[in-house]
Parts: sequence; structure tokens; C-alpha cells
Amino acid sequence: MIYLDHNATTPLDPRVAERVAQVMGDPLLQGNPSSIHAWGQRARAVIERARRTVAGALGAEPLEVTFTASGTEAANLALFGAVRALRERGAPAGILTSPLEHPAVLGPVRALAAEGAPLRLVEVDGRGRISPEAVAAALSRHPEVGLVSLQAANHELGNAYPLAAIVAAARVLRPEILFHCDAVQALGKIPVDLRTLGVDLLSVSGHKIRGPKGIGALLHRRHVALEPLLRGGHQERGRRPGTEATPLIAGFARAVELAVSELDARQGPVRALAAGLRARLGDHARAWGLRLYGDPEASVGNTIALGVDGCEGQLLLINLDLEGIMVSTGSACSSGTLEPSPVLLALGCTPEEGRSVLRISLGVGNSEADLDALVAALPRAIARVRGEAEGLSA
Amino acid sequence: MRVVCAMSGGVDSSVTAAILREAGHEVIGLTMRLYDVPEASAGACAPAPSAAASRRGTCCSPAEIDRAKEVCDQLGIPHYTVDERERFAAAVIDDFAREYSAGRTPNPCVRCNEHVKFGPLLARARALGADALATGHYARIEGGALLRGVDPAKDQSYFLFAMGAAILGDVIMPLGTWTKEHVREKARRLDLINAEAPDSQELCFVGARAHAAIVEERARALGLDPAALAPGAIVDREGAAIGEHDGIHTVTIGQRRGLRVPGTAPRYVLRVVPARNEVIVGAAEALARGVIEVDDLRRLAPLPERGTIAASVQIRHRSPPSPATIELDGRRARVRFAEPVRAVAPGQAAVFYAGDQVLAGGWIAAEGEGTR
Repeated sequence: MIYLDHNATTPLDPRVAERVAQVMGDPLLQGNPSSIHAWGQRARAVIERARRTVAGALGAEPLEVTFTASGTEAANLALFGAVRALRERGAPAGILTSPLEHPAVLGPVRALAAEGAPLRLVEVDGRGRISPEAVAAALSRHPEVGLVSLQAANHELGNAYPLAAIVAAARVLRPEILFHCDAVQALGKIPVDLRTLGVDLLSVSGHKIRGPKGIGALLHRRHVALEPLLRGGHQERGRRPGTEATPLIAGFARAVELAVSELDARQGPVRALAAGLRARLGDHARAWGLRLYGDPEASVGNTIALGVDGCEGQLLLINLDLEGIMVSTGSACSSGTLEPSPVLLALGCTPEEGRSVLRISLGVGNSEADLDALVAALPRAIARVRGEAEGLSA
Repeated sequence: MRVVCAMSGGVDSSVTAAILREAGHEVIGLTMRLYDVPEASAGACAPAPSAAASRRGTCCSPAEIDRAKEVCDQLGIPHYTVDERERFAAAVIDDFAREYSAGRTPNPCVRCNEHVKFGPLLARARALGADALATGHYARIEGGALLRGVDPAKDQSYFLFAMGAAILGDVIMPLGTWTKEHVREKARRLDLINAEAPDSQELCFVGARAHAAIVEERARALGLDPAALAPGAIVDREGAAIGEHDGIHTVTIGQRRGLRVPGTAPRYVLRVVPARNEVIVGAAEALARGVIEVDDLRRLAPLPERGTIAASVQIRHRSPPSPATIELDGRRARVRFAEPVRAVAPGQAAVFYAGDQVLAGGWIAAEGEGTR
């Protein structure tokens, strides 16, 4: 089995698995972290150590880290929390975002728009690029915007965005404007640092960085007022009530630590493999009817968005899976639908082109042999889907 | 061989996959996502759904897709979902609304088989390198002929005529020689999670909702003239108004219940006249028809282009076929029944049989209406 879907999720790092199992199984760490007694104190210590680790790795203060159950929850907390607080204060509470964002951002943004928050979209070009100038232009046109939400890297194209430059350009015009960065796809692939990026809010997730599923975090600068999404106890300073998942938090911290400290060692080989694959697919582009999307000049380097003329992406995916090669057709969060990916539509693709795209995303563990297998299987799959192969009478 | 098995999530298609797997084939489960269950009807409208009712679901609903996935995991075969919502909406649901708006009684199961299952699904099976497409229908395909399933209570051949003769060689229906009881027994032996799931009763996309509400909703979305679905007069055979109906899409030929007409004599819907938005009612005897016209005829056996044949003709699912003489004329046919039949609903299918074999089938035209 060849796994080429690392943007959907990643296999757990054995060192992370070890940490999760250790905390989960330790008889002395079974307490509720909010309890006052000895077991509670030990569990609390694990969580606070994890918070320091995550903060240190991502350029934040420990108080600026709130653990959540997912990247989606982090983005929801950032957007609902900050926009509702802006509205409460009577400050401009409009949102500027891009049409390329993940559903975890577009979902809450649309819900906020339905509550009355003005929603504006920044212009993107045909390769899915977003420039500081485009963001500045949108902000000068739309004074009603109080929060900007942009991803650091795109989940379908692998584009990496010049977020620090975008934030700087925006702050020249609007020093007080709030920035949320969805860094779920960027973390572990490129450097991610709250202060270097200059954003106020930053969402990350465990399972995209060889960490556990079911854990994420929102980083929030101290000046940002956040209305909690959930109501309940005082956990996470009231920002995220609910008993903390001690083992997942400990595993997440370990995963973040490794993703940051081993960034170059891990991603160097992945980038080289992906660049090689991109070149090979480029060589066959004309003969096989392929289109390559995204901006390889500024990318996280592991993702290839591949359009195949005259083929339904889902049928190519199934054919490859039957040969033991796992890829996706776009964001896994929208799989099971034939609706063309909104990312590709925003790039100016026709719906038919949008339905014909495969996403190949590499990660730790992939080898040259995996890519040889893909390059061998792809033309067979294409021929079948186009009806050029043997099988049932057409 | 590699077989793509169309899986609805129900017990029939699950057992189909299981027996193909046992026969040594490489089986790939495929479920079509056909429609979204509107949130309001996904259990919220029923006050306290019983466990059985909430487990039922209908073919290809999101819950059934999950069930199909689980069954395939039990069977150790891959499973995929393909999105056919757009095509299903256009070919089946929109047609349903148009037909009712035109005073006919549509048959969405036949439409789905023709336009979704045996068209695009077969094309997908080809694109996956399959040697055959299997379905869990109770019908047999033998020697290039389509035959009734051996379980008379479950036979589905009536719904299948529109698949046409050309693809009979590409499709297998292993349950044609099985009874439902055998299928359940097999499912229990395999410990399939849906072994005891009740058969779906309603139309899949209608579910527990009133079909009239769906017709009205789609008709609005399609921009059809709302006057076509407006309340109108119920008249007797002489044309005298004796009551009011809630819209021609709320009645069907042969219906007796729910008509607001005075008097004690039983009265049945005899005809629907869309042009006048009228529903004509009368006594049971007046429902009898000796002759019907059929269009858009599909031949599933070698039959002459023109000429007269003898066959038995079935005009409803689960009603016994009636002997008739049929004049074939290309894509049309005139059926003369040996004994008049009751409650012939335009829009329904008329299927011609010789014994168990399906010879041909088509759509019943409205009286005095030769083509559709």
C-alpha cells in the first residue's frame, strides 16, 4: 500500500505514539487536571508542560495557547470568538478571507455572514496566489472589515502564502485589524511562528503533523478578546471548557516539537521527491493530457494538484486505490461529492476541469519506488476511465 | 472476474456482493449518493420514531451509504461512493414533478434504473475495469433474456424493462434465483449487520414526506406553472362539479380514498384532465379499459418492428399480468386486453411478458394521446 494523501492526515510518529501511550497508561496520570489532589496536580503538570512546549515551538507565550479537539475547532473558536467580541465592542466586525480557504474556515465565516457580518473575498490569480497588494486593496475598499482570515498554505494546491508581508501591508492601512491564520497545512512543512507571521490568531492541528487525531490548538495574542464557543467549566481559562484530553495534549506537544525541530530533515527529502514527481508528470503532460495546478515557486513542496483531461477524478482515485495507491480528489473534507472543488473554481477552472483533479500529497515515509508505482499506474487508470482499455463492451 | 456490485445499503445488494465474493470474484462495492435528506425530514418531523423506523432509512440515503461501507468491510471488499445527485435530481425527481404536474402517475424506480443505474453506473463499472455490473434485483438474466425472479413476491422485472437489450450481457442479477427468505437466511449466517433490516417501502427520495409536497417544491424550482398544481374541480362523468381536489398531483387513477365528494356510492378517480385542472370520478365499472396505448417502447426480445403478437401485459408492480393482443408499431404499441383491466394510470409502465420472459415494455399514454 502506497500512501500519497498526507494532506488529509499523516501516520502517527512512533515517538508520539509512545508518549500518548505512556501518559494514557501511567497510573499516576489518571486524574482530572482540574482536581486539587495529587493525581490532579500531576495531570495538570503534563498539560502545562505541553503548553510551554507548543508555545516555545510556535513563537507564542504559554498563556497564548488554547488546546482544542481539532484544527476545525481552533478555527471556529478564532473566528466566532473574535468576530463576536468585535461586534460586542461595536468595532468593525466584517471578515476578509479568500475563496481558497479550507471548509473549517469558510464554514464559520459563512455562518457569521448569515449572522450579519459583512463578508469580503480577496482576489486570487489563476495559480491560486494571493499578493499583499490584493489584500491591501481589499482593505482600503472595505473599512467594514475587522478581521482577516488567510491560510498559510493551501490544502489542495500546496501554495505557501507570504503571510508576514501580507500582514505588514495590511497593518500600514489598518494597524488595529485582527489576523487569523489557518496554519493547519503549513505546520510541519514550512516554518510557522506566531510572532514572525505577525498574526493575532493561529490554528494548528495534531494529525497533520504525525500527531494524534482529535487534538489541535488555537494560538491567540493576549490583546485578542475571544468569546468562547462552549460554555461549561473554567478549563483553558474558560476559553475551552471540557476536561482536557491529557494523553492527546501530551502527544500533540511531542508532535509539534518534532515537526519544528526536524523540519528540514523531514521535509528536505519530501520536497525533493515531490519536485521529481512534478517534473516527471510535466514530461508526460502532453501525452497523457495532464494539467498541473498551483504555484511551485512558492509552495510547501509536498502537494501536486493534477488535472486529467476527460477523466472524473473520483474514478481515477478508485482505479489507483484498487492498485494499492492512495490519493484524493481534493480536500477529504469534501469527498463523496462530485461538486468541483471550490479552490479550483476560484482559480477559474470549469466545473468539468474541477471534477477531474487528483491531489497527490507526499510525506515522511514515501520513496522513489512509490512514485515509480504511481507513474506506472496512472496511464492505466487514465485509459480505463477514458474507455480506452479492455473490459466491458462499451 | 472483476465485478462492480451496486450496493444500496440494504440486505439484498449486500448478499449479492457476498455470494459473488464466495464464488471467487473480485468484488468492488459501489454506492450512488442520490439525494440529500433535508434536515427537517431526517427524523425531526416524526414525533418519536421507533427503533425499527429509525433504522429503516431508504435506499442510498446517507445512513445507508455508511451501512454499505460497513457491510463491505465485513465482506473484506473495497467500497466507494459515487455522487449522482445531479443526475438523479434531473432524471428522476424533476421528471416526477413534471409528470404529476401533467396529470400522469410517474414511475421513478423505472426512471432511476434506466437513467442512473444502468446508464452511468454501468459506465463507471467499465471505467473501473469491471467485467460485469451486479445488482441485487430479483430478476434473472439468462441466455440474453430478462426473466422474472423466482420469488413471485419479490420479482422486480417490471421495473427493469427500460434497461434495454443491449446491456443484458454486461449485467448479472444473482438474486433472480433466490427467495427473500433465503437471502435473509444467508445474511444471518454471514452475520451481516443489515440481516434484519426491514425492506424499504416508500420511494427513496420521498421517505416519510408527502409526495405532493415534493412535487410542489420541485415544480416551483423548475419554474413550472403553479396553476397546474392548484386546487380544482372534481366532476362526474357528465361534467357536473361535485367537489374540489387539492391539485391533480394529489390523486391517481383508481383512487377512492380521500376524495371530498358527497353521497355514499363509492366513487373512483377515472381520469385527470390537466387542461381543465379537472378530476373526473365515477363508479368502479367505469375504470375498466379494454385498450391502452404505449409509447417509448423498449424491446428486450426479438420482436417484429410492426405486427401483432400475443402476450400478457402487466400495468402495475405486483398486479397479475393480463392476456392481450398487441399491435406493434416501431416505438409504439396498442394493447387490446382479452378482458378489460381496471385503473390504468398514464405514466406507469406496461410490460409485456411471455411466461416469465420480459418481451418489451413502455409507458402508458393518456387516453387520446399517442405520444409523450
